[in-house]
Amino acid sequence: MRVAVDPWDPGYGTPGAGGEPDDVSARVTLDLEVPADQWRPLPADREGWEPTQVLLVDGVRRVDARLWFGLDDDPVPQPGLAASHAAGVVRLDGSARVVAQRVERTLFTALGAARDLVTPLGTYRVAHAAGGDDDALRLALQQRMTSLEVAVADAARVDDDLLVVDGPLRGRTALPRAMGYVKAHHATYLDDARNAVVAALGPCERTPVFTIGTSWTRHAWYLRLPTSSTMPWAGIVRCEVADTLSRGEAVALAGVSCRVLPPLASLPHKDPRAPANLVPVGGLERTLRHRLGDAVKLHRAITVAAARVA
Amino acid sequence: MTTDDVTRDPVGRVLGTQPASPLTFWTALLPEQWLQLDDVVVTERDVPGRGRVVTSGIVTQVEARHEGATFASDVHLIADGTLPAEVVEQAEVTVTRVEPELYVPPTPGAAVRRAEAGERDAALHFDAMERQLPIGTGRDGRPVFANFDFVDGTKGAHVSISGISGVATKTSYALFLLHSVFTSGVLGAKAANTKAMVYCVKGEDLLYLDYPNTRLTPEAEADYALLGLPATPFRSVHVFAPPRPGDPSGTPAVTGRQGGAVTSMFWTLAEFCRDEMLPFCFADAEDDRAQYTLLIGQVAARLKREAVPIGDTGAVQVAGHTVRTWEDLVRLLDAELTDDATRSGWTPGATALGSVNAFLRRLHSSVRALGPLVRGDLDLRDRVPVSTSQAQVTVVDIHSLPDRAQRFVVGTTLRRQLRDKEASGTADPLTFIVLDELNKYAPREGSHPIKEILLDVAERGRSLGVVLVGAQQTASEVERRIVSNCAIRVAGRLDPAEAGRPEYGYLPPSQRQRALLAKPGSMFVSQPDLPVPLAVGFPFPAWATRAAEAGAPPEAPTGVQASKVAADPFARFTPDRGDDPAPF
Repeated sequence: MRVAVDPWDPGYGTPGAGGEPDDVSARVTLDLEVPADQWRPLPADREGWEPTQVLLVDGVRRVDARLWFGLDDDPVPQPGLAASHAAGVVRLDGSARVVAQRVERTLFTALGAARDLVTPLGTYRVAHAAGGDDDALRLALQQRMTSLEVAVADAARVDDDLLVVDGPLRGRTALPRAMGYVKAHHATYLDDARNAVVAALGPCERTPVFTIGTSWTRHAWYLRLPTSSTMPWAGIVRCEVADTLSRGEAVALAGVSCRVLPPLASLPHKDPRAPANLVPVGGLERTLRHRLGDAVKLHRAITVAAARVA
Repeated sequence: MTTDDVTRDPVGRVLGTQPASPLTFWTALLPEQWLQLDDVVVTERDVPGRGRVVTSGIVTQVEARHEGATFASDVHLIADGTLPAEVVEQAEVTVTRVEPELYVPPTPGAAVRRAEAGERDAALHFDAMERQLPIGTGRDGRPVFANFDFVDGTKGAHVSISGISGVATKTSYALFLLHSVFTSGVLGAKAANTKAMVYCVKGEDLLYLDYPNTRLTPEAEADYALLGLPATPFRSVHVFAPPRPGDPSGTPAVTGRQGGAVTSMFWTLAEFCRDEMLPFCFADAEDDRAQYTLLIGQVAARLKREAVPIGDTGAVQVAGHTVRTWEDLVRLLDAELTDDATRSGWTPGATALGSVNAFLRRLHSSVRALGPLVRGDLDLRDRVPVSTSQAQVTVVDIHSLPDRAQRFVVGTTLRRQLRDKEASGTADPLTFIVLDELNKYAPREGSHPIKEILLDVAERGRSLGVVLVGAQQTASEVERRIVSNCAIRVAGRLDPAEAGRPEYGYLPPSQRQRALLAKPGSMFVSQPDLPVPLAVGFPFPAWATRAAEAGAPPEAPTGVQASKVAADPFARFTPDRGDDPAPF
């Protein structure tokens, strides 16, 4: 078996965010918290359940090299993806500390005969992807990172905390007191009247909790973070919690989100994704990206290691 | 945790983001660890085929910052607990020793630990010093030594102390060094015969060197004990003070010193003529620019040739006139040089009348200053000439004299000292000369007789056994050849503009900055053995520095001097024991 590194820079040709395609044919139930015709911006309630600490979990990934596996009896080479990915948790309890972080290096390929790639700077463990094409490999990377996030978050949990997961809660609804935090709005779930309510939200105000049913079901609400922009949807984020929660539990989490998240909003001159990219998450991402290691050195190490496999 | 664990545990690791070199490297500190400036640290490295190389050095800079913060305002987010970041401390280490001498850089990531007792002494080269002179306490509370070979002339000599007046405690440190030389045992058997001549320039603070200090605390005594020095005043001190002006018996003008040896210091007219002391009456910068230097030499030469001592009071006869006072001599020279008939006898050749007049004008202006010092009207029985033979420490008190008289005394006594040493033909025993305000006596610009003598001391003193301990506010204004001949250089608190001058090149940038805020009692000492000056503190003086601190006086001298002092009605006068703050 031979392995070759694609001379193309892995940064090129990355498809979108590598995330899940949003399902537009969603069944939306609006009257979980209030009847649909009584929708209005809800101010942050001052009282209610208070988590002892807030955990924010996030992951980063980077493709270090694209590989080609050539088998002697197969004229068509098989693609592979050597990637570094990391996940970490920031704990907010008066001070902000990165309490858990893990870095993995993985070689994604559909080829069953592929072996771990050992380089002087680290070993890329083989993970078999469902499909051999580029999208399938990237999806496998995304899933791998998500499960790493879950594993890291699990290790940091304490009683009575709140876990904020960066991105949709899909696949992580089993985590207790977990809240998905969605910054980008690829799909429109609400009708025009309800969207007008979203646009009318003041800083730290939220919509009533509603239920979205796509390929998976969850409770959700929109929240406006403090922002200086006057665009109708500026500073709007969507929070998601598991649909297994009762109405009361979901509303309590929604109330907490209005108190916990707005103070963490970032500023436009410091973060291009402000205010939605929360300050602790920005700091965590910087730390994790740093932990991924030097891309140039890793690329070189993979090239050398691949040449030795032959 | 035992103390042993503390010293063995690494405090940090060699940093890899900054290049590490065999001369300087940075270390990142481990959590809960700290280093301060002047700490001594050690790191080790295995070199293939050559064994273990130990690199030791002194911390010359420490820095702390937030890692993970991009913007200045991030500090608020981090402090408020929103942004995750780490506080990192790093320290710059200037290497003092690489053992064995294999100049390889320390490996990034290698453990750095505090130097233990033996390692610390090795790092600071104390183990290689055969004769260790205690020069103070390091920041770690342990003694710091200088190599005495670089003080006594074996390999080098002379000490230069710089610093702002009043805050830098230059004189106090010079005397501490002297105390250390005499009592630490570095001199061995020679300690008894080694002498020092100390010029008291600024006040009465050096007149009580043999009095115990009543303000000496037990802590200060412990500091002395740590350095292996006795917390005692100087054992043997003799003070020479100028005669009280207008006093026909010539009693010394000293008020506070009630016990211990004091004698009045003056020169007879016979000595003045015989030893050609006239040039020292013209030792100002003003005289350097004047045209009458040739004339001074001619007049001095004729005085030496023709002056005949008369009687037993040191008076002389010159050109048929009897001269008993300095004023008489000035008047005589005026008459002789103004008269056309006699002038050529004093200055052969064509000396411009303007030069003669300028010479006379300067001579006349010296009458008040030099009158009490150069005279032929005192009883010379039991007179003690100014020399170091009377005691181990000879204090020449010139603080009450006008500037011209100070220069005259310094010039005359220094030359005498140097000639005595030349005549003895051997460097042993040593003579230490402590002189403050070197920028006045040996200025960088110009040339005059005192500067020539000091240059001589600086350049030949090593072989003559004369060691200069010079102090000055500004080393940049002292003759460069004198400063460059000093093996040991000391800086106290420095003026910001002064600290930037090249004369302080021996201080690394961080120490120059620190010298601007050095506290009284802390000095930076540079010595040839070490690439970095050491910050030292020295203990409070064990000897009194003014009347208010003076304890029981040493035994009063016996003999005629004592009765002379006792007969002085003013000597018994108890001075006002003012409570002004100590100069220390």
